[in-house]
Amino acid sequence: MIQLAALAALFALAALFGGVANALAQAAFVATFALAGLGLVLIVGQSGQLSLGHGATMALGAYAQGVLVAAGIHGALALPVAALAGTLAGIVASIPGRRLGGLFFAMSTLALALVVEEGLLRLVPLTGGAAGLVVPPLAVVDWRLHSPAAQAAVSLGLLGGAVWMARRLRDSRLGRAWRAGRDDESAAAAVGIDLGHVRMLAFACGGALGGLAGGLYAHWLGFLSPEQFGLPLSFELLMLVFIGGVRSLSGALWGAVVIVSLPQAIAAIRQAVPWLEFGAAGLELTIFGLIVVALVMWRPAGLWQAAR
Amino acid sequence: MLAQVLVGGLAAGCVYGLVALSFVLIYKATRSVSFMQGELLMLGAFSAVVLVEALGWPLWAAAPAAVGLLFGLGLALERAVLRRAIGQTHLTPVLMTFGLGLMIRGAVTGVPQATHRMHRLQLPWEQPIALGPVQLAPEHLLVILATVAACGALALFFRHSRAGLALRACSEDAGVAAILGVSPSAMHALAWGMGAALAAFAGVLLAPVTFVEPGMGVVALKAFPAAVIGGLASLPGAVLGGLFVGLSEALAGRYLPDGVKDLTAYALMLGVLLLFPRGLGEAGRPR
Repeated sequence: MIQLAALAALFALAALFGGVANALAQAAFVATFALAGLGLVLIVGQSGQLSLGHGATMALGAYAQGVLVAAGIHGALALPVAALAGTLAGIVASIPGRRLGGLFFAMSTLALALVVEEGLLRLVPLTGGAAGLVVPPLAVVDWRLHSPAAQAAVSLGLLGGAVWMARRLRDSRLGRAWRAGRDDESAAAAVGIDLGHVRMLAFACGGALGGLAGGLYAHWLGFLSPEQFGLPLSFELLMLVFIGGVRSLSGALWGAVVIVSLPQAIAAIRQAVPWLEFGAAGLELTIFGLIVVALVMWRPAGLWQAAR
Repeated sequence: MLAQVLVGGLAAGCVYGLVALSFVLIYKATRSVSFMQGELLMLGAFSAVVLVEALGWPLWAAAPAAVGLLFGLGLALERAVLRRAIGQTHLTPVLMTFGLGLMIRGAVTGVPQATHRMHRLQLPWEQPIALGPVQLAPEHLLVILATVAACGALALFFRHSRAGLALRACSEDAGVAAILGVSPSAMHALAWGMGAALAAFAGVLLAPVTFVEPGMGVVALKAFPAAVIGGLASLPGAVLGGLFVGLSEALAGRYLPDGVKDLTAYALMLGVLLLFPRGLGEAGRPR
C-alpha cells in the first residue's frame, strides 16, 4: 500500500513537472522495463543464476513483434509470439549451464547477447540491419494505441498480470525448488530436485517476460535498431534488479523507476551545472558508472534495504 | 596471400589471447568475472600515447611505464573497490567492474584531446619485411614476438617465483594456502594488478596496429570467446583460444561472405559451450 502510494506520488510529481502525457509515456516505459526486470528477478533472485544476456530476450521479442506486425499480423496476436521467442532464447542460453552450472550460465547468456546483436545487424532482409525497423503502434482489434494513456494502461495491465503469475510461481513447488538450489546445491540435489531442469525453467520463464517486454517496447519506441539491444541493455537490466533488490519481486518496479528516470536526471544535472560541459557523453558514462559502483559497494541488498 | 592473412590473424589472436589471459588470471585467483579489461586495455594504450606524444618519452621507455602504471591502477582499484567483492555472489564483481569500466571510458571520453584527433603509436620501422613472397608488417611481428616473450615470462613467473607459486596455490585453495603462510588478500591484489597490467600490455601492442580511441576496448569482448574455448580455467588455454579465434576470424574474413567475420568469435563460443563446455582442450580426452 505504501509502495503504491509512493508510486502515485512520484507519478503526480512527474505529471506536474513534465505534463500528464509525458508522465504517462514514462509510466509505459517504466512498466515495460519492470516486466523485463521481473523476468530477471526470477533468474537471478529466485534461482540464483547469473544472466548477462537478458537484453537479448528483449531484443528477440521486440524484433519478433516488429517483423510480424510489419508482415500484417495483428499486434495483440504477435505478443505471445514475442514472449515465445524470449522463452526459446532463454532455454537455448541455459543449455550449457545445465550440466556445469555457475559461471557457464553467465558465459552462455553473454554469448547469446553478442550473437543476437551481431545477427540482428547482419540479417538485413528481415531486420533492416543498422538502418533499423519501423514498428507501427500496437493495435487491439480496431483500436490503435496512439495515446500515452492507452500505452500506459496496456503495459501496467500486463505488468500486473505478470506480477500475479510471478507470485504464484514464487510460492509454488517450482519456486521453492529454485530457492533451495540457490541456497544449497547439494542439499537441493539430495532431496531430489533436478537442478538443471528447474534452472532451465527459470530461464524459460524469465525469457518469456523479457520477450513480452521486448514486444511492448518495440511499439512504444516505434523504431528498432540493433545497438539499442546490445550488451549495455543487459547490464542496465542487471542494474535494475540490483537497485530494487534481487530477492524481491516488487524491487523490479522500483529499479525500473530509477533506470528510466536516471538519464533524464543526469541531463537535468548537466543543464543545472553548465560548467560541467567538459564532455557531455563522457560525463553521462562516468555518473552512470559511479552510481553502479556506489550501489554495489554500499547497498548490496537493494537501494531500499539496509545492508545485512 | 594466405600466409599474409594468417599472420594478420595470428597478430589479432595474440591480442585476444593476452586479454583472455588477463581475464582467466583474475577469474582463477578471485572468482570474479571482470568486465573492465577492455577499458584497462584502452587506458594502457592511452597512457603510452600520452607518455610518447605529450612528454616526449621514447617508445622503449613509454611502453613498460604504461604497463607499470596500469599495474598500479589495478592494485589501487582492488584496495578501494574490488576487495569488497570477496565472498559475494558472481553478480557483485560483474556489476562493479562494469561500473568501473564505464567510469574509465567516461573519464577518457571527457578529455577533448582524446577524441578530437586520431592517435597512433609510430614504430621506428614502418617498412614491411619481405619474407619470400610474404610481406610481414612490423607491427604484426612485434605483437607476435612480444606475446611469445610475455607468455615465456609468465610461465617462468608461475613456475619458479615465490609470488607466482603463491598465486597458483591461492587459486587452487585459498584456505590451505593461507595455512601455509600465503596471504590471500595480497594475492587478491596481485591478481587484479597483473590482470590490469596484462590488459594494458595488449593495449600498448595494439596501439601501433589500430587507432587509439575511447571505444577501442571492444576487442576485449573477443577475449571471452577465447577464454571459453580455452576452458575458462587454463592460462595456456586462454592464449591458444585467442590464437584460434584470431585465425578463424582471419579465415572467415577471407573465405566467407561479408559480415560473417564479426560473428565468428561469438558463434564459436556458443558452439564450444554447447558441445565441449569444458573447452576444446578437453574435447579429445576420455572422461
